[in-house]
Amino acid sequence: MANIDAKEYSAKPSTTKSRLSWLWSEYSVIIAFIVIFIASAILNPRFMDLNNQLNILMQVSIIGIIAMGMTVVMLSGGIDLSVGSVLALAGVISVLALNASGSILVGIFTALLVGSFAGFLNGLMVAKGRIASFIATLGMMAGARSIALYIADGGSVSGEVAGFTAISNSDLWIFDVPVIIFLAMTAAVFVIMHKTRFGRYVYALGSNEKAALLSAIRVDRIKIGVYTLIGSLVGIAAVIETSRLNSISSSSSGAQYELDAIAAVIIGGTRMTGGRGKIIGTLFGVLILGILNNMMNLMNVSPYLQGFVKGLIIIIAVVFQKRE
Amino acid sequence: MTDNPFMMMKSIDKSFNGVPVLKNVTLKVEKGEIHALLGENGAGKSTLMNILGGVHLPDNGSVYIDGEQVKMLNPRISQDQGISFIHQELNVVADLKVYENMFLGSELRNKAGFLKVEEMCRETHDVMATLGVDIDPKEYVRDLDTSYKQLIEIAKALLRKSRLIIMDEPTTSLAEHEVNRLFELMRSLKQSGVSIIYISHKLKEIKAVCDSYTVLRDGELVGTGSMEKENPETITKLMVGKAISQERFVHDNPFGPVIMEVKNLTSEGLFNNINFSLKKGEILGFTGLAGDGRTELFESLFGYRKKYSGEVRINGELVKIDHPRKALKAGIGFVPKNRKENAIIKDLSVIHNMSLSSMGNFESSGFLNDNLEKKRFQHYKDVLNIKVHNPQVTIDKLSGGNQQKVVIAKWLEANTDILIFDNPTQGIDVGAKQEIYQEIVALSEQGKAVIVLSSEAPEIIKICHSINVMYQGEITARFDGESADEEEIMQYATGSKREAKKIG
Repeated sequence: MANIDAKEYSAKPSTTKSRLSWLWSEYSVIIAFIVIFIASAILNPRFMDLNNQLNILMQVSIIGIIAMGMTVVMLSGGIDLSVGSVLALAGVISVLALNASGSILVGIFTALLVGSFAGFLNGLMVAKGRIASFIATLGMMAGARSIALYIADGGSVSGEVAGFTAISNSDLWIFDVPVIIFLAMTAAVFVIMHKTRFGRYVYALGSNEKAALLSAIRVDRIKIGVYTLIGSLVGIAAVIETSRLNSISSSSSGAQYELDAIAAVIIGGTRMTGGRGKIIGTLFGVLILGILNNMMNLMNVSPYLQGFVKGLIIIIAVVFQKRE
Repeated sequence: MTDNPFMMMKSIDKSFNGVPVLKNVTLKVEKGEIHALLGENGAGKSTLMNILGGVHLPDNGSVYIDGEQVKMLNPRISQDQGISFIHQELNVVADLKVYENMFLGSELRNKAGFLKVEEMCRETHDVMATLGVDIDPKEYVRDLDTSYKQLIEIAKALLRKSRLIIMDEPTTSLAEHEVNRLFELMRSLKQSGVSIIYISHKLKEIKAVCDSYTVLRDGELVGTGSMEKENPETITKLMVGKAISQERFVHDNPFGPVIMEVKNLTSEGLFNNINFSLKKGEILGFTGLAGDGRTELFESLFGYRKKYSGEVRINGELVKIDHPRKALKAGIGFVPKNRKENAIIKDLSVIHNMSLSSMGNFESSGFLNDNLEKKRFQHYKDVLNIKVHNPQVTIDKLSGGNQQKVVIAKWLEANTDILIFDNPTQGIDVGAKQEIYQEIVALSEQGKAVIVLSSEAPEIIKICHSINVMYQGEITARFDGESADEEEIMQYATGSKREAKKIG
């Protein structure tokens, strides 16, 4: 159709106006990030302090790692509500394994194993059981939290192995280790999504599942892979969370992490229904959330109001993306 | 043509982003006539109709209804003028009941604000009765056939007292008898003074039902006049700018050994006791009416449907195909019907759609190689004549014919010995159709085994070596492509003749 042909020309910007709108639609989250960054620098001089900047990165690293997995899940057309609970469960079990074995390596592997196994179960429910991801992971969210509470008897468990806290509390050059892990995971997920067939299949599946299946793609396995991937990322996040204070709370650790992760993905421009979105977008979505939190602390905004501001930003982000 | 047509669009110009799409186009429609609007994909038909429907504003030119100029600023104004647009994709809500769809947005309410359900049902029933159909107004639309969904759209237009109905390729998803019913309906609408603009690629239908025609090519008016005086060949020539041969495409190339053998294939309620064999280099056609089970049959053979029994042998070996991946491994490729739902991934780029079924070909040490993909696409772009300026754009920016060529390229890249095409020319313009026919024939000449499914018997006759006719899940007749005759095929397809003995 003629008007469709015409649209194709707009993909190759010819006029200033269309170039600007193309720039906006492709990179709106980066532009928003720059605006917020500059505004923060003007509003509060302490914001630009190097230690403050590194502090922001440190604070977003756990949510950031989870948000990377969430991006993949949401690109596939699903959602994972269980990340916070699975983080608590993986943390609790890994601390028990750590204390029992006395080996940090065993602790880390246990966290990874619990996280990816929970993700694998989510994947099985979604792919083979054909349960909507919202429902399946809602079940996992309740279940995993409950088991964590049961194991820890509702309280916290603390590590008893020297050196475990070093994971989150040491740094390389000027960066804290969690920040490095976060950036490394971002790079890894980026490569997976853009340079491997798995990533291509995830985009295809999220955009049109039936066509993906009819293109001879093993849709079920890809789905299981997607949830297992986010599960193992949650396992990594659990290690960082636990190591930071050398303890994990079965009741409060990871609470509402799923909402922060989903918020970062949405702000980053990934479509709720899947098929379209970018890893880089999520990275900036995470940073935007981090800066907002940081600024509210610097400006002494009541912690009770911080949720309000966050909610507002999410809604504004989505409203702007709708205009494409 | 009188000087006072019911609707006139005069000297319409329209461009998108500096690209002219319509150049000085004039369209006149008389009261109570069926006017065919013709042209290849991209000729500007949709844009012209969108201007009439108030979706786009023209850059130049004006629209007159009953001799008075009307500014179609938005769809509402167009509707108020009595213009209804029935799109190719039906706008019915499957989870609502028939009457709820009919009155969607303009429900009848009593003074307290509650819905007057019985009255709406009665009116729905009355309108349906004038159309000669008996549907329970309280039935859910999801339970109805496609042709009935179309009827609901038409009934909706009648309910709004439309004076001009635009139908955009209404017959693509209809079976032959449903098409006939639609035509009867259009004729009776015409009698009652309603004008219809009919957009279609099927010249035979246009010849059968339309009074006059207007042909667009590349956004320009190239011909208009009364249908009676024209024959299909001259109109085709106008549309594409050159004559298209109606001859058979397929030649008698020597067949190779049998590559696929199907025995007693049965799936309850869908198809029953299907037997056939396919040789290398052969093009085997399957035709029939809607509900004949041919699509379900080949979706099963491709592993999309799993519940079937019977034997499938490929190269003599018994295979159990229960996933499309296994079909691919066994050497079967499948170009499905309903491209938009089944074949294209609209968020992926043209190149990525091409490579999707054979990612292994583009990997080096586990990572995808963009340059390899680009090079392969360039190859198919040349071979299949895919028209795209920038293959990095998402595939939904291409016209239907070019999308289909990309889907075919995907399966060529997968390089399977057997290729199944289901309705390969659905919603594709005449020029691209010919190219796809040529490609299918070329594949068979390269020694591939090809199966073509189509509801259009002339298409099957044109490109197949032999033809199977299906009726209600069974193969009722087999013809040699050379001697097959459209009317005879229809007799078997409608079930009025059976040849069970021969098929056994």
